[in-house]
Amino acid sequence: MQYANHILEKYEARPRKWRLYTLIVLIMALLLTWSGSSITFKGFAAKGTEVAKGIFWGLVKPDLSMIFNTTTDGVPYLLMETVCIAILGTVVGGILALPFSFLASPKIMPKPVAFVFNALILLIRTLPSIVWALIWIRVTGPGAFCGVITQSICSIGMISKMYMTAIADLDTSILESLDAAGCTAFQKVRYGIIPQLTPNIISTVIYRFDINIKDATTLGIVGAGGIGAALIQCINSRRWTMVGSFILAMIVLMLVIEFASTRIRAKLARGQ
Amino acid sequence: MKKNAISEPKTPLFDRIFKPQPITLPNGHTVLRPRSRTPLICALVLLALGLSIQVTGFDLSAIMRRANQLTKILGQIFRPDPSFFEKVTGPLMDTIKMSVMGSVIGCLLALPYAVAASANINKSAPLLALLRFLLNIVRTLPTLVIASICALIFGLGTFAGTVAIVVFTFGVVTKMLYESIETVNMGAFEALESAGANKFQAFWSAVFPQILPTYLSHCLYSFEMNVRAASILGYVGAGGLGILIDERIGWRDYNGLGTVLLTLFVAVLLIENLSQFLRSKLS
Amino acid sequence: MIEFKHVSKTYPNGVKGLKDVSLQFEQGEFVAIIGLSGAGKSTLIRTINRMIDITEGELTVDGTDVMKLSGKSLRRFRRKIGMIFQSFNLVTRATALKNVLTSMVPDMSFVRVLLGLFTREQKLSALAALDKVGILDKAYIRCDQLSGGQQQRVALARTLNQNPSIILADEPVAALDPVTAHQVMADFERINEEMGITILINIHHVDLALGYAQRVVGIRAGEIVYDGPSSEVTQDILDSIYNGSAVPQAGGN
Repeated sequence: MQYANHILEKYEARPRKWRLYTLIVLIMALLLTWSGSSITFKGFAAKGTEVAKGIFWGLVKPDLSMIFNTTTDGVPYLLMETVCIAILGTVVGGILALPFSFLASPKIMPKPVAFVFNALILLIRTLPSIVWALIWIRVTGPGAFCGVITQSICSIGMISKMYMTAIADLDTSILESLDAAGCTAFQKVRYGIIPQLTPNIISTVIYRFDINIKDATTLGIVGAGGIGAALIQCINSRRWTMVGSFILAMIVLMLVIEFASTRIRAKLARGQ
Repeated sequence: MKKNAISEPKTPLFDRIFKPQPITLPNGHTVLRPRSRTPLICALVLLALGLSIQVTGFDLSAIMRRANQLTKILGQIFRPDPSFFEKVTGPLMDTIKMSVMGSVIGCLLALPYAVAASANINKSAPLLALLRFLLNIVRTLPTLVIASICALIFGLGTFAGTVAIVVFTFGVVTKMLYESIETVNMGAFEALESAGANKFQAFWSAVFPQILPTYLSHCLYSFEMNVRAASILGYVGAGGLGILIDERIGWRDYNGLGTVLLTLFVAVLLIENLSQFLRSKLS
Repeated sequence: MIEFKHVSKTYPNGVKGLKDVSLQFEQGEFVAIIGLSGAGKSTLIRTINRMIDITEGELTVDGTDVMKLSGKSLRRFRRKIGMIFQSFNLVTRATALKNVLTSMVPDMSFVRVLLGLFTREQKLSALAALDKVGILDKAYIRCDQLSGGQQQRVALARTLNQNPSIILADEPVAALDPVTAHQVMADFERINEEMGITILINIHHVDLALGYAQRVVGIRAGEIVYDGPSSEVTQDILDSIYNGSAVPQAGGN
């Protein structure tokens, strides 16, 4: 088929991107060969397939007696303990984050102070919570209390960061109108700032609670209480039906909390 | 007034128990003031807090008593042992390699699964429910639990860790991705179907270009998380920095621990900044 | 030729989209379908390329029974029917040229689709389609940078690139300002005259419908209440289409 010259010209003027694409493909290939260099499949461990089968059947046919066991070894109590760790950890973290978010905002504090606190927040956020738990265990000893302290500290990082964004996003034009109405400084804070901040703060805390529930199950693995501790014991002693019931209970708990947290936060964002 | 209350679509349970209070204005008009929910919520929160303090044995005085122990540990951590650094690099590279490999494979697996788990592409309700259910199981398993199971199945080492990262990435990215796919404008998809394209052709040409930047951004974000997640997998024997962390704490060599943590901190910071730079380029 | 024989459409929720519709459209006609929103204009148009299934009656396009098609034969059938949408339905993140190229996708191999490899010939034909609607200069510009009228032209070029014998347009100018709407309607008129493509257009601007189309079909509550040349449409007929109580003597039948 013949095309007019102006169409051929436009075709020749097309942007050419293959150089960029080749570069991206090359970089990816290099990265993958580099990372593949020390990851090799050495076959299954002795009894590895047995473990896989055990876990599969454990999940299909979990130990139901654990689920209805009401002693402190049973699933209900362990779940409650996990939730309690997350509740206290979140609340204490949320309270500790308040001074942190003020101390770290460069608009309010002198630059050096803000810098130090920002660095602290970064440090808290960057290191995995398990590391913090391992350190705290040395101070508090193993158990649920260690989990609470770990979560309180680890929550500070994210919560204070989100507080700071909420403070930065404050609509200050309201303060002007309150000023015009002759309000005192206290009245301005009470009716101009706090109503704007509370939904954000509550939403942040609930979101962190959702994360902390997931985290609390992991913390148990290093000995910081909750359902994770019991789970890892069962895995190590290869009691697969119990492993199955613990895992299923954890999944249900997390999905329920996640669902509730999403619903409540959506409501807060819409403004009930 | 009463008629109004009945014709409301659905009165929440709370308002049925605590009836709204009518206020009559001087001109005879009435408004219904719903009772505040704040006292009830506060009471519930306080109750939960009380229970939690009981169950967890919350005791701040214990920290006060052991405060010198804490300052001693922290003091040593903040004086890292530079000679230990050469022993950190190997496991650090392992950690990064596990995260790269795990992220790439996990993200690739997530793409087809997320497409199949999107309500606007997959119109079969039972299949959708099954896919979502399986995804929820995978997604809620803590990484460390997956890693310890993998270590039992594949033996100790980086391979088990990589599998754990793959599973973790798959869960996180699939969830974020199908949520993005569901918010995509389906107009172009419809246009291609009306032009005679099959589902794959229509998805790939009309929906995929729209989600590609989001998908890549999710991938980079998961990679950021993976470096942090991979660093602890060694604790259950799945390779990487975690072995060192566990070992240093076990030996109470807190200066050495300081070196490991400082290295990890710097590495995570670098990777986060690189990834955030790339992500800002994407949008 | 498109032929509706006693076609009805009942949606799963019981809503009747079409009630016993019998119509014929010859090749090369320019028809405007007017009526209130919800009257069944969209349903009527979308049954033709079976984006919506009919529940009763028979619908044939060039002798093919539409309801007998499925899978591959349906997709091959849709190739010769172009469709234009109110909201343009473009991949806004892609360039105008890429959008036009997507109309070639159904005929390409899996690997070519996967990698997005288009031949020189395909690109030239897409550029020529853009030229036909007068926006060749925008070929390498992303669609989200284009105005509404330009986006609708990209959509038109995408459809033309598919070499259709019929174009179905579902409220193509509803999202455009009056001046642009006239330009797009003029594009349709030109395409209809120059290429002999049948054009069925859903529209609720009566002036535009009467000004450009040769034939008007009025639809109310799923029933055809007028079918005849646009020159014979009177105010009474419009009243009956838009709010009339009595069904007037339909002009065309």
